[in-house]
Amino acid sequence: MRIPEEIRNILYGNYFGYVCTSDKNDQPHLTPVFFIYDENSQKLFFITNDRSKKVKNLSENPNISITIDIRDPVNPFNNEGVMAQGTATITDKAPIYFLSEETLQLYYDIYQEFKSKYQKVIENKPLGENDVIVQINVEKMVYWKGPHFKSLKFKKDFSG
Amino acid sequence: MDNEPIKEKKWIYEEIVGRIPPFSLLSYKYSILLQFLLLLVIGITLGFIFDLGQISLLYGSLAILVAISWSLLILQLAPTLRKFRAPLSKDENELLERYKGILFHKNHYEAVPGLVIFIPFMFYLFYFGTDLLDMWLGKAPHPILLLFVSLLIWDICYRMGLGLWTSVLALWRSIRLKKLAEKRSELEHTPYTELRYLQKLDINNVFFGIISLLLLPLFKTDAFLVIITFFFMGFVILTSLYSAYIISTVPWLPPDIYNLVNESSFAYIGTSLKGKTHVTPVVYVFDGQKIFFNTSKEAKKLKIMQENNKVAFLIDKRDMSNIYENKAVLFTGEVKIYGIMDIPMHFIDMLSALKLFMKKYPEYTKKYSTSELPKAWQLTPIIARILVEVKPAKIIYWRGAKQISVPV
Repeated sequence: MRIPEEIRNILYGNYFGYVCTSDKNDQPHLTPVFFIYDENSQKLFFITNDRSKKVKNLSENPNISITIDIRDPVNPFNNEGVMAQGTATITDKAPIYFLSEETLQLYYDIYQEFKSKYQKVIENKPLGENDVIVQINVEKMVYWKGPHFKSLKFKKDFSG
Repeated sequence: MDNEPIKEKKWIYEEIVGRIPPFSLLSYKYSILLQFLLLLVIGITLGFIFDLGQISLLYGSLAILVAISWSLLILQLAPTLRKFRAPLSKDENELLERYKGILFHKNHYEAVPGLVIFIPFMFYLFYFGTDLLDMWLGKAPHPILLLFVSLLIWDICYRMGLGLWTSVLALWRSIRLKKLAEKRSELEHTPYTELRYLQKLDINNVFFGIISLLLLPLFKTDAFLVIITFFFMGFVILTSLYSAYIISTVPWLPPDIYNLVNESSFAYIGTSLKGKTHVTPVVYVFDGQKIFFNTSKEAKKLKIMQENNKVAFLIDKRDMSNIYENKAVLFTGEVKIYGIMDIPMHFIDMLSALKLFMKKYPEYTKKYSTSELPKAWQLTPIIARILVEVKPAKIIYWRGAKQISVPV
């Protein structure tokens, strides 16, 4: 399934995503993240510290949602955004020589992507030793522009 | 923050009671109850021995009741202040330490106003030819009765003094705190919980003032004492109400977060139902104390919040050109959803929130008001747009890459 142009534009044209996780007591938590979107797999990725609250929450409850939007404080009809809901997979954290080739490749690809998208910000900062990649397997996307909504369902990806 | 541990702070009365068994063995509420019963038993026994009229017993019981109710209120001060966490501002912390220092001074200044009331009152009672003693105890009472009555009078005067002492000190503390709060920088503040404690103590003092009305039957034949009692009551109530009001205007957010919340236009609201999370942008307003946001009656998040009112609410300032200038604050806690049923109780709150929305987002208000919009989006306040208040239990603040947890 190809996703509509307007959603692609938002996913590619914005730097900040707002990630929502919740713990086993259904208490939500929110943080802004830098993210990348991979069109081939239709997945979103972000890098975070493995001691962060969101990683702790995801280990209790893998459900996740992320919102990426354009906000206009003057004209609400220009507000536009996407919320993606799904589940998260966190790459294993291990010394680099123990990682599977697949994971290593993922780290490499994601990092390259991040570098090209967030060049100004991360410069040549390498991945930190506690950093993990969180992969969002999207099940549903909601798109809005002004008062109009559009909803997309994705086939569940059982390969992980 | 390193503070010397708060020493057990006690007043004369607490100290005495705390040392005598069985009072020392009981929690303070039961200890006060026991004192109440004990005084009553002594009073009634004396009444029978000296053959007093029923009315005398009634007067005595009333005086005991006043003294004991005052004790209940005033003795909450020490335990409340003992669990008080230190403010995250050096000046405000010093102020509160000074406040506690004077309140529980080792020279027991708290007994001074009591003495100042007690001595003239005793003179008035015994030498000024008032007929109060006759009214209470009948003609030529036995010295033992006089002794017991004097003891009760001291109990009342001492507590009246405490009432004056604590309410004046509280007002001084509130005015100073408000002044110091205006000079805060960055993350300095006194947490919300602590401000509410102070307010609660002030409200206790308001009740303290009201209870003095119970003394009126005892003074009914003496216009002068009736006026004094009203004066005392008015003074304690007004000082305490004013103090509580000042505390309610002290910001509970440190300036860095206060400004971020005050200046940003958008927030994100995260909700969760049976583990499935949801996050969307919202418009919000802040009146200096409360945070409100607005949602459509048809919105998914409203349906979620009605089932699980736990939320995460994030406000940020994003700047791609300088990542170290990025700021964000996350409030986690609960929400209160305002419905039609809340109008009678919260009319002023709801109206002022609506006004703030119109002032902050004039274009939104205008655009939402057109009838071409889907019904859910039209700005028919309360009916189609629902007002929601964020009640944070926890605050996390990010500045650049630094994460700081801010006590609420």
